Amino acid sequence: MKARAITTEVLLGIVPIALLVALWQAIASFGYAPATLLPPPGTVFTRLVQQLFTGTFQQEIAATLFRLFAGFSIAVVLGVIIGLFAATSPAINAVVRPIVRVLAPLPKVALYPALLLLLGFGHESKITLVVADALFPILLSTYYGASMVEQKLIWSAMAAGTPRRQILFKVVLPAAIPSILTGCRIGLVISCIVVFLAEMITSTDGLGHVLVTAARTFQAVDMFVPLITISLLGLILNGLLQGLRSYLLRGFPEI
Amino acid sequence: MISGRALLSRSAPLLACLGLLGIWQVAALIINTDSFPTALEAIRAIPSILGDKESLINILASLRRMAIGFGVAVVVSIPLGLMMGRSRAVASFFNPLLMVTYPVPKAALMPIIMLWLGVGDIAKMLVIFLGVSLPVIYHSFQGAKAVEEKMLWSGAAMGLSAAQRMIRIVLPAALPEILTGCRTGLVLALITMVTSEMIARQSGAGNILFNALDMGQYDTVYAMIIIIGAMGIGLDAGFERIRGRLVKWSEPSFDIPLSFA
Repeated sequence: MKARAITTEVLLGIVPIALLVALWQAIASFGYAPATLLPPPGTVFTRLVQQLFTGTFQQEIAATLFRLFAGFSIAVVLGVIIGLFAATSPAINAVVRPIVRVLAPLPKVALYPALLLLLGFGHESKITLVVADALFPILLSTYYGASMVEQKLIWSAMAAGTPRRQILFKVVLPAAIPSILTGCRIGLVISCIVVFLAEMITSTDGLGHVLVTAARTFQAVDMFVPLITISLLGLILNGLLQGLRSYLLRGFPEI
Repeated sequence: MISGRALLSRSAPLLACLGLLGIWQVAALIINTDSFPTALEAIRAIPSILGDKESLINILASLRRMAIGFGVAVVVSIPLGLMMGRSRAVASFFNPLLMVTYPVPKAALMPIIMLWLGVGDIAKMLVIFLGVSLPVIYHSFQGAKAVEEKMLWSGAAMGLSAAQRMIRIVLPAALPEILTGCRTGLVLALITMVTSEMIARQSGAGNILFNALDMGQYDTVYAMIIIIGAMGIGLDAGFERIRGRLVKWSEPSFDIPLSFA
């Protein structure tokens, strides 16, 4: 019974995606839009598969992934550490909170020209931009997660003789993991988006650069390929994170 | 004592701004290269940008596009999100589509949309619309899903129709969550606006920024960064104030730091 309900839901969910692809195909094949503006889906997906097996395209993906992972990992480490300390120390909190309140709503892309001037056109400026954008959701959700830890848990740990320094890593961090992972998920998607945009604005390699090159020469097919690739990457990475989440949170109630 | 502390906490963001500008000033003095002017030099360049009629028109045009894109997105997304939250069928219909489009960088659609609609306002507003709608839909969806069934039953028992229940029970109950989504959407609208102008390079705030970069007018670059940053902070603070008015009854509970040290 339950399995059947899930199948119906999945089927229902496929409908709009299928409709969209059908609409796309219809517009292309009935000639409402010339193939130079909207290539039919078949052409785009064949091109995608074809590209995925060429060395140069794989190198572009590798460049994008490297920046993505470097930026995202730095953001996770910084965000979790700052978030934990801000939640547990009033002094650090007093400093961090106003700074975060000012920096979080700042449109970080606007900093990109400054980063270009300071760090050059290579990996560094793009990675820094990814860090700047992915940091805040991770930091904030770590902070909220760590501040919501039940005081009783901390008292019990202290009563059981846990040294104060270890409470942070043995009680607060594990208790905040669900919230941290939610923040990481948002941060991951943002990293995907930002790395792509940074590569579009100025770059010599990476998926964003592929899109811009295609746009300059009006190759519509080649414009769709990197876009679909980055979405697929986002979905795959999201799936991996989801897997990690269900592994780390086995036993936690599903939210 | 209490008022002094309240004053301090109210002025803390301002102090943080000044502190960050101070760090910038010191760093620039230490590094001392042409491409990194000091904070004071950058601030001094702001009046000449805002005084220049053409760039002012450009910036206002950017803000207008942003406001329209954001407004349309909010008007469309809230009802959709609420319906998804209250009806399983609607939710499972739209959810996968939203999931697939979520990691697509919306501003990256700019070149394709430009190919179809030209470089004009409509393309940029469409991109902003796409960028804003996802978080608003998502948060409205979460908010509507969390509405207590009992309130809906009471409403139904008192003879409210389904549409009335939606407007008079679900909407207010989900409002805090919806406004959280709108806040995220507002920041995203500004980001998408700047990015789309950086990519389309025809008019607007993002264009001024990159033109100045190309021409090596570094103080203009940094002054523009301050202006755009101030827009972000100002819009966010303004929205926070409106949110405080609208949903006074639901203060977020996580405003106190946990202390065990």
